[in-house]
Amino acid sequence: MTPRRITAALVDYGAGNLASVARAFTGLGYRCRSSRDPGALATADLLVLPGVGAFPAAMAALHAHHLVDFLGERARAGQPIIGICLGMQLLADNSSEHGLTAGLGLVPGHVRPLPQARWHIGWNSVDVLGDDPLLRPSDGESLYFNHAYAFSAPGPYTVAVSRLDDALDAPVTVAVHRHNIVGLQFHPEKSQGAGQALLRNVVEGLLQ
Amino acid sequence: MIKKRLVGVITVKQGWAVQSFGFQRHLPLGRPEVVAENLDRWGVDEILLQCIDRSRSGAGPDEGPDLALLDRLSRQGLSTPLIYQGGIRSVDDAVAAVQAGAERIAVDSLLRDDPATAAALAGPLGAQAVIAALPLAWQDGELQWLDHRHKHATPLPADLLAVLRSGAISEAVLIDWRHEGQHGGQGGGFDDALLDHWPVPGLPLIAFGGLGDPLRLRQVLQRPAVVAAGVGNALSWREHAVQQFKTALRGLPMRQPVYAAAPYSGSRFVTALPARGVHR
Repeated sequence: MTPRRITAALVDYGAGNLASVARAFTGLGYRCRSSRDPGALATADLLVLPGVGAFPAAMAALHAHHLVDFLGERARAGQPIIGICLGMQLLADNSSEHGLTAGLGLVPGHVRPLPQARWHIGWNSVDVLGDDPLLRPSDGESLYFNHAYAFSAPGPYTVAVSRLDDALDAPVTVAVHRHNIVGLQFHPEKSQGAGQALLRNVVEGLLQ
Repeated sequence: MIKKRLVGVITVKQGWAVQSFGFQRHLPLGRPEVVAENLDRWGVDEILLQCIDRSRSGAGPDEGPDLALLDRLSRQGLSTPLIYQGGIRSVDDAVAAVQAGAERIAVDSLLRDDPATAAALAGPLGAQAVIAALPLAWQDGELQWLDHRHKHATPLPADLLAVLRSGAISEAVLIDWRHEGQHGGQGGGFDDALLDHWPVPGLPLIAFGGLGDPLRLRQVLQRPAVVAAGVGNALSWREHAVQQFKTALRGLPMRQPVYAAAPYSGSRFVTALPARGVHR
């Protein structure tokens, strides 16, 4: 019997480029749909929250499409959720970008400007903390970043960090994990083979 | 630590990827989708897609960004970050280009025509997604900024410098347009004066033009202000050129050469995916 293919649903709230993320999932052999319809999203094996741009505009779009409460309900129901880039930041309690804005509150923490630089742009290696099985295989890999704000989460939820300049720099949280929710500050869909491998491990780890 | 980047530059004219020489002469290479797929598989760190005929001289209407090409590239499943340049006239154009598949936007003509709007792109996109593209030459003891539509050059104006210093732009591409397309070996190529006399310290720089020689490329990437270097024609002259450049640049803080035997998306040139719905 052929094993059932995993279906990922991209939350389409109008922020960012869904096609690249969709192609990353289909390139790994998963089915992928993009939708803002709660019924279509809820029946997928996992939800993917992408996003580029500014935090307040993205939260406003989620509110406008009545997706804020829905995502909270799906998180509590145990449906796996992956937030990518701005999508990771939206998981936080709040962000100070363009004023204080409440987030989804699915992973404790807040989003603030990078402390030691204006931007974190380009390829950087990630240090995986502890033994998180989803991220551990990607320890030391280089992944693509493009952000100016960073998620500051309590220790238990921070599973990977990067440093902008050298080993003495304060670490920047680049991945969070709480139960069925994972946030990735980098773009796995734009990180070539290293991103593909990480995405596969995260998807299949969350669905075990 | 953050790595320095090798940027593969794809120049597009009338819908075709071309080799470009000094902003004047262009030779066809083929479909931009094919060039992009090769750069993606060969492991370039970033792709700069510059569509050079989207902003007109005023004689005809601007065509705006080539969203159809961006959409095709996006559906193709590139796994390499993409900078788009060409025809950005407004905030809406820039947002549309990002939604069509670009990670970042580079602006040139907009900085000259409407610097306030160029600065405003950072509002919806974040400054990390906004890049200034500046064709420059060192002439008569000062940096001269080329207006390629009207074929003349001027010193860098105060309103441009104000935008560059405002925090609304995250990186600047310094294009040595006179040496663009040249190999750059034996002491030639990219003019160090562009870096020596650059007036906005602290703004990270992407050097481009006359960097087809690995030794020259290494020299430029060793400059602290240079976070990336763009190579155009030389990446299309031979198979796996990216890995050969990366191998020659060993010792610099750069990502190791990688190579994918097949496209990351698993299939070539997918063009029939619906905007919404199930992707199989």
